[in-house]
This record gives sequence, structure tokens and C-alpha cells, in this order.
Amino acid sequence: MTQNELEKIEISTQPKRTNPLANVFDDLVRFCRSRSMFMLHYCTGCGAIELPPAMTSRFDMERLGIQPMVTPRQADILLITGYVSIKTLKRVILTYEQMGSPKYVIGICSCTVNGGMYWQSYATAKKLDEYLPVDLYIAGCMPRPEAVMEGMQQLMQKIKTGEADSWKKYYSHYDYYLGNQQQLFGNNWQTPTDIIGEAESYQLMGPQTLGEHTKILQQVQKPLEPLEMKL
Amino acid sequence: MNETLLTILEVIFMPVVAFVIGLFMVLMMRKLAARLQRRVGPPLMQPFYDVIKLYGKQTQISHGLIHDIGIIMAVGGYVAAESLLPVPGMDGIADKGGIVMLAYLTMIPSLGLALGVGQCANPNGSIGISRALTSMLAYDIPYIIVIFGVAYHFGSTNLIDIIDTQQAGGVATWGISEMPVLAIAGLFALHASLGKQPFEIYIAPAEIATGPMVEMGGKYLGGLFVMQSFQLYTASVLYVSLFLGGGENWITFLLKCFAVLAIPIIIAYLFPRYRTEDLVRLVWKWPVMLALIGVAFVMT
Amino acid sequence: MSEADSQKLNVLLQGIEGLQLTQFNQRRLRADISPEALPALLALLRGRAGYVHLSAISCVDWIAEDEFELVYHLYSYETKILISAHIRIARDPGVYLSVFDIFTPAAFFERDIHEMYGVYFEGSPDMSKFILTEWQGPPPMRKDFDSEQWVMDTFNWQDYHPDWLQDIEQKGGGIVRTPESRRGEE
Repeated sequence: MTQNELEKIEISTQPKRTNPLANVFDDLVRFCRSRSMFMLHYCTGCGAIELPPAMTSRFDMERLGIQPMVTPRQADILLITGYVSIKTLKRVILTYEQMGSPKYVIGICSCTVNGGMYWQSYATAKKLDEYLPVDLYIAGCMPRPEAVMEGMQQLMQKIKTGEADSWKKYYSHYDYYLGNQQQLFGNNWQTPTDIIGEAESYQLMGPQTLGEHTKILQQVQKPLEPLEMKL
Repeated sequence: MNETLLTILEVIFMPVVAFVIGLFMVLMMRKLAARLQRRVGPPLMQPFYDVIKLYGKQTQISHGLIHDIGIIMAVGGYVAAESLLPVPGMDGIADKGGIVMLAYLTMIPSLGLALGVGQCANPNGSIGISRALTSMLAYDIPYIIVIFGVAYHFGSTNLIDIIDTQQAGGVATWGISEMPVLAIAGLFALHASLGKQPFEIYIAPAEIATGPMVEMGGKYLGGLFVMQSFQLYTASVLYVSLFLGGGENWITFLLKCFAVLAIPIIIAYLFPRYRTEDLVRLVWKWPVMLALIGVAFVMT
Repeated sequence: MSEADSQKLNVLLQGIEGLQLTQFNQRRLRADISPEALPALLALLRGRAGYVHLSAISCVDWIAEDEFELVYHLYSYETKILISAHIRIARDPGVYLSVFDIFTPAAFFERDIHEMYGVYFEGSPDMSKFILTEWQGPPPMRKDFDSEQWVMDTFNWQDYHPDWLQDIEQKGGGIVRTPESRRGEE
């Protein structure tokens, strides 16, 4: 499946609930989500240098309720701030899968869009949204803090209106994302998070959740064992 | 019958009030931090947004039954403690508990957290919780000595009696003017119990990735946010009750609570943090020494 | 390099066959040597002249001559001189001896070169993957590996004018000047 085909498929969003009180509640939760974003900035490249000014006294992201968090479990937004080498991409995917939904991915810098100045490098992944569902790109090399803030506000707007639900795409089109990941990491690729199980448990299964690539995954999947402690 | 019903209502209502006030204390903490760093800081309702968002997460990652129970213990310990803390107009079951019971209840959250984190099996969490218990061991000694001194001075372990004695005599009989040395030691112990810099050894985001909170997401982190707001409330209200004459009415009560809390917070955001062994050495040396001197003054 | 240092080094190295020393400046020496004699040179420099620091091993792929050039950079903290010992090995088997027994840090440099160029070092303790743990293809720093072609074959590219960009372009954003339109200006 190509990217264009993927974009055409609309995710069946939850129909508006009939109970007006429930609607008010949903709106409240969405509003709170948009006003309280904990971000995990995965500082992959040079773009991370624009985040300290955005967080500290000059631009002060905390005005908008954005604050940095240190572990994926606590975070809502995954900021990917620069080129993603293939080795890093593995870690980015592991991190993304550990975050609690609803989760959003922001690709900062040109590198996450199309490889940027590393476009001909064998070691960097080019299109981030082939491997993860990206909600928002902030292009630039590097985007200034103003642009980062502008992007954050756009994301807030999208969350408030309920448009930012690309995390559902990861569950409902897992086969597509897994296929792209397998292309880079080989067919033995598996993550500690059981995405298919989560999708079943939260009723997020889509027509594209299972497919040829997930079949490969289910064949090679080994049960998780605790890592050996080594010095 | 009517009396009993009123008490039950108060016991339900007091934790709710404590939660709301606690959230505003969190807001004050973040605002003060922002102002000290020359930022604007979060908007007025930010702590509410955070808590609602965390509880509104759609996937909640649990690590097992003990993980769930641990968080309930952590919040429940404080909820129980709130009903023993008299506020203006509401005494709850304070006359049946007293400060000894309260001191016991404020230790439960740390133990609950230890249980919950234990099941997460994250090494950062384990390090964090061992540091949290170490720091509890450190600040509990001056804390208990201070409570003993105050109880000895007022001849009662009942918080209602202590507050009434102070309010009857005016400012001159407040704990802080009668026992200034104990008051300083108490403020020190309060600061250490908040787990803020320089006593922030068990959170340490850059070192052990927020320690006990490392595997907490969604409603679990929300539970910890609620716990933090209760923690700030409990610590400040206890201090106000022991040393600042409690609250005659809600305005003076809240003023005193927020003022007491502002002092350690302002100090906190100007300092980096100690190492564990330095913290224990520091807290066992200075506040304990001050508290013992204070107790000696009280006893003579 | 002082006169005394130079003399000492000449006396020390006169026993090694086919050694050609070139001095660039006070602190840089280039030594061209045959691959067979290199371990002897390194052992001598380390043991008798105080060149205890192997600061890097670099590799150059001379594809026209069908050879790899390995450069061993040795530094002495006493005389503060950097000697670069150059050898050429045949590109085809691409096998050479490890100097791990003389300089322990060589293990990492050799592992790196093995990964990037495919040169195999006999006697090196570990020739497994070092940095490119996810890499399945040929050694990427070889001249016959076409990185651009590989990237073109492997990855897809973002469209420069996708549908969603059109609204932004109408507002004056987007890519206003493409690289193609700017090429003639310089």
C-alpha cells in the first residue's frame, strides 16, 4: 500500500454520542488534553537546540500547558527533533509504543520530512510517517522557537477539534507501519509492546491491522524475557 | 444522630476541599518557579487540566494488581489524613485521632508507592523508591521530635485542643512565638518532606528519570498528581495548626497555609539537589539538633 | 623535531626494510612501509621510542589502484610527535593482521574499519557489528557502494506538492522557490 492510498482511507471516528452530557464531558476532556501536553523530546538531531529557548523564559511553553516529561509513559507528545538514523528509529518506535494513547508525534526539522540534508545517507530514515503516524511537521532547518510554538498551537487546535487522532491510525493500519519497519530492520523485528493485543483490547482494530507483515511478526515473535544484567 | 451525620459529611467534604486547595498549591508552586525563572508560568486552571487529561487517557498501562493497589494506598493514606486535620468550621474526626495518628498516616503514601513501584520492575523506579524511603527515614526524625515538643508544650496530642489554646491566647501564644527554635526545625523537616530541591533525591528527573514515577502513565500518574496536591496541603496545614494558631476563618487560614508553603518552594527553586548520603547527614544533623534544643527549651 | 630526536629515530628505525620517512613539519612524520614490516615498526616505536598512543587507524579506499590504504597514527607524549604509518594492502581479499597485541585500543578501530570497509583483521578479538547494528548491505564506505543509488532504491520520498500543502501555498507558505528555479541564478 502506498502512502497516497493510506491517506485516502479515513479512520472511522467515534460517532458523536447522543447524550448531551456525554458530549460536554468529551469536549471537556479534549479541551484539557489540548491545554495540558506533556512532551517527550527525543533529541535525535540538531533541532533539539531550539527547544530550550522555547521552554525557558524567552518563549515559555508552560503558558500553553506544555511541559517536558522524562519518560514515555508520562508523555503525550513525542517530539522528534531532527534526522532519525535507522538505529535511532528503532528506539523511537519502542518509545512511541510505550506511550499512553492519545499520543501525538511532531516531526521537527526538514530531516523528518524527507531526510533533509542527509537525504543521500544510507544510515538515516527518510520519511518519518512511513514508520510512525505523524500528526504535525514543523519544517525548517532548524525551525525557530516561534515556529515550534506556532506548530504546538496548531496541534492544540487539532486536539481541541478532535482531528488529531493519528494514534488510532497506528492501531488500525499496523500492518502498513510494521511492513515498513520490517523492510529496514529485517523480518525478525519485534517490539516489547503487543500492538495487536492492545488494538483488540481497546477496540481499535481496523481492516488493515492484520496482514501479511503481521503474519511474519506472529511467526517470529518470541515471548519477552527480562534482560540480563551485565556490566 | 444529627451529630453523626454531620461528621460523616465533614469526613467526605474535607478531602475534597483539601484536593482543591492542594491543586492551587501546586499551581502556586509552578507559578513561583516560573517567576523565579522570569517566565510567565502556567494558567490558573493548569493543575486541573493536567489531572483531567491524565484520567482521560484512553490506554492505561497497568503492571498488575499491586501496582493499582499501591496508588490507591498512596492517595488513600492522605485522604485519611485529611479527615484528621481540622480546618475552620470542620473538625472531622480530629478529636479522635490526634497528631500521633496523623504522623502515622502520612507515612502510608510512601509505603504504598513503594509497593506499586515494586511491581513495575523498572530499575529507575526501584532506585527512586529506595531513595524516597531513605529520605523519609531522614526527615521523620526531626519531624517526630518537633511533634513531641509541641505536644509536650500544649499538654495534648489533640490538634483541636492545640489550635484552641493558640487561638484563645492570640499571637503571643502561637507555637511560633513560644517555641521559635522548634518552629525553624519544623520548617526544615517540612521542606525535606515535600521532596523538593535540595531534597529532591528521589525524583531527580535527569538522573533516575523521576524515580517512582518512571513507569506511571495515565491515571496512575494522575493519582500521583492528586497525591502531590494532598501532600502539599497536609504538610502546610499541619504546620499552620502546630505553630501558627490554625485558622480563625478561611481567609487567614488559607493565607497562612500558602505563606508557609511559599518559603520552602522559593528556597527549593534556587538550589540543585544533594546526594542521598549528604541529605541524610544534613537532616540528621541540623534540624535534629535544632529540634532537640527546642525541646529542651520547652521542657525547662 | 630536534636534531637529537631525529637522530635517535633514525638509529632506531634503520633496521626496518623499505621504510621511507617524510617529515612534514616539526611534529608530523609520514612513514611509508610494506605491510609485512608494519607490526615490527609499531612494536619498535611503542617499545623503544615512547609512541604509546595509537590515536587512530584510518582507511582509504583507492579503487583505481585496487588497494586499501591503512594509516596508523602514533603519538608520543614525550617528543610530542605524530607519526603516520601508511601501508597498502590488496583490495580483493582485504585481509590484514591485527595489531591488537601491540596496541589494545586497536580492537575498536579495527572493528570499525571492518564494518565500514570490510577489511578483515586476523587476530582481532571481535569482528562483529560495532555501530551499524541494523545494517544488512555491503560495507558502506567502500567506493563501489553507491549510497545515493541505494537510498533511491530503498526509500520513498515525500511529494513536494502534496494536496495538504496547497492550502498553505495559497496563504503564501510552502516551498516558494524550488531548488531547480534557483539553480540558474548563481
